[in-house]
Amino acid sequence: MAMLHNRRKHVAIAASLVAPFVATFCLVFLWPAIRMVELSFTAGPLIGEGTWVGLANYKRLLTDNLFYTSLKNNGYFVVLTVVPTTALALAIALAINRLSGRLQAAMLALFFLPYILPVSVVTMIWTWMLDFQFGVLQPVLAFFTGKPVPVFKNPYWVMPMIAVVTIWWTNGFNVLLFIAGLRNIPQELYEAAALDGATKRQQFFRVTWPLLWPVTALVLTLQLILQLKIFDQVYLMSGGGPFNSSYVLLLMVYREAFQLNHGGYASAVALILFVIIMVVSVLQFQVLKIGGRR
Amino acid sequence: MKFLRTVLMASAVGLAATPALAQEKVIWWDFLAGGDGVRMKALIDRFNEEHPDIQITGTTLEWGVPYYTKVRTAAAVGQGPDIMTYHLSRMPLGLSEGVLSEITEEDLQNAGLSRDDFFPRAIEAASGEDGKLYAVPFDIHSIILYYNKSYLEGSEFLDENGNLTGIDSLEDFERALALAKENGSSAPVSYSTGDDGGVYRVFFTLLKQQGGDLIRDGEVLPGDSLGKAATAIEIMTRWTENGWQPEQAEYEASVALFTSGKAAFHLNGVWEVPTMVDLEKEGKLGFEWGAVQVPKLMEQQATWADSHAFAIPQQTGKEMSPEKRKAVMTVIGWMEKNAIDWADAGHIPAYKPVAESDAFASKEPNATYSSLAETAAYDPRSLIAGVASPVYDAAINIISPAIHGYMEPMQAAEQIKSDLESKQR
Repeated sequence: MAMLHNRRKHVAIAASLVAPFVATFCLVFLWPAIRMVELSFTAGPLIGEGTWVGLANYKRLLTDNLFYTSLKNNGYFVVLTVVPTTALALAIALAINRLSGRLQAAMLALFFLPYILPVSVVTMIWTWMLDFQFGVLQPVLAFFTGKPVPVFKNPYWVMPMIAVVTIWWTNGFNVLLFIAGLRNIPQELYEAAALDGATKRQQFFRVTWPLLWPVTALVLTLQLILQLKIFDQVYLMSGGGPFNSSYVLLLMVYREAFQLNHGGYASAVALILFVIIMVVSVLQFQVLKIGGRR
Repeated sequence: MKFLRTVLMASAVGLAATPALAQEKVIWWDFLAGGDGVRMKALIDRFNEEHPDIQITGTTLEWGVPYYTKVRTAAAVGQGPDIMTYHLSRMPLGLSEGVLSEITEEDLQNAGLSRDDFFPRAIEAASGEDGKLYAVPFDIHSIILYYNKSYLEGSEFLDENGNLTGIDSLEDFERALALAKENGSSAPVSYSTGDDGGVYRVFFTLLKQQGGDLIRDGEVLPGDSLGKAATAIEIMTRWTENGWQPEQAEYEASVALFTSGKAAFHLNGVWEVPTMVDLEKEGKLGFEWGAVQVPKLMEQQATWADSHAFAIPQQTGKEMSPEKRKAVMTVIGWMEKNAIDWADAGHIPAYKPVAESDAFASKEPNATYSSLAETAAYDPRSLIAGVASPVYDAAINIISPAIHGYMEPMQAAEQIKSDLESKQR
């Protein structure tokens, strides 16, 4: 009886501890999310009730060219960022890991610094550096291409440049994760490998890479989710143009909802993006886990 | 203790100083952040001085989508202003959102105004499909052609008084551009080629001068308007190819090209008139300038135009008291009657007693270009047109890159059509 009483007390304490979180979560996330799903089945405006239209928004989505363009651009952006930023972060982490003491801390801080900047500052810096008329990087571009390039107004340059800016901005966090992963690998393994005559290359592929794999998988997954949600950089640097070549799904949500007052349609696009992110990231994590088990 | 007593005394004096009569507080929102914003603030201050019983508290918000989003969301929860500035080009969307309160005959009487006091086109643009009035027009603003006389001296393009003359067709204009280039102008015609507004206004003017329609009966670029849009883009592309217009110029840069004397011509809104006037007064301009209505370059005379207007938001769960409504209409009536000060910001008053007054007739350069009001071409009445609309997005997304050579004019016109039509559903 005392046991039972005790357990009840345990449950009560546990419940009271998680209650604030659960309540906040339900209020500011779950409830709005449910409302959004509801809204996506109506022809509602941004604020207020709308008439129920069933699947009409989704049907319209399937015939909307801009939706496919945005989807393709989201995919292109993921290709441009996820693997490159992971590889770059790993390379930087390996290099920093060879340093020690103050120098290591200083280098780490240097790479982490952009990450603490807000996105508006980041885009200000880069639009200034890449400005067509007076950007300090234009002579560099002119050296390679023969003339200055209005990078955010050129349909071929715009996405890769946004990817470069994004990688520069967010890479520091990935470096940090990799450093933590590298420090978790016991030094003895390298000593033993060295005794057995393993080269540096073999040490990396036989020791570092497999033991670091969980971190790599995590970084890849986090990056995938983050980059699918691209919006700020596009909104601030290119506005989706030129010729929709940097139009992405979240920009479509924003324009439909806040410019055209189509709350229902915007919710449908948002929900589709949510499902895509969920499916893709779960799939990717599973695949990576299998890959790691080999 | 001494401190407490001082505080008490101070508050007592403060209370006593408050006038006994009930003062109506009017919350005012606008989007006027430039040179015209300064002039609007001066008007508000003067109103407050002259009206002890009404107090306007003004807030300036960011122009474009942020402004109109805030108006809509604030009105929906009853937290909007009592009076706001509104673009007439934005009326269709505003009406569909239901954020505009009807301006009744009684309201107009309270303001001391009547419908006949305004230019018919402005009243038409301020009315709903039902013929009811939902805003009070304040001005008509348009793009005009600014020119720098130094590049044209001694040529056929200046008359004996030093005023621009002889530009009656596109060929004439392009000859003038070529001449300016020869005379050393690095950007013979400057406008913001890398900006949505600048590109859109020039494009729409060229389209309208050919008699084309951007949207008619819900169809984007119907019939031969498609070809006319392509022609307009082709002309703008040629100006790039010949080095006559700046590449990818942002708004500020396009103005600076003219004020620094590098551009012979400048296509921009009337709202930059105060900039030129002020610079000339301070002796910083360094050349003689003039401004005229955009000449007839194509088949007919037309210029892109829009209007600022005053509107009262329709707020959910918050009925405006008759006293406050009367105060708001008093504000609107006073502003209209003092619109001559607003003309200093380059605008043409929409209120005819001011627009047709001697004071306005002698105001230069407004009087020179005010004839444009008769052939003003407003944005099409559509949910996707107007300030900060998909039409403006198309200008930066499609037209601007196309005139820089990234797409063929016809292809660009077709993309405008398909993009805008998909937004319209």
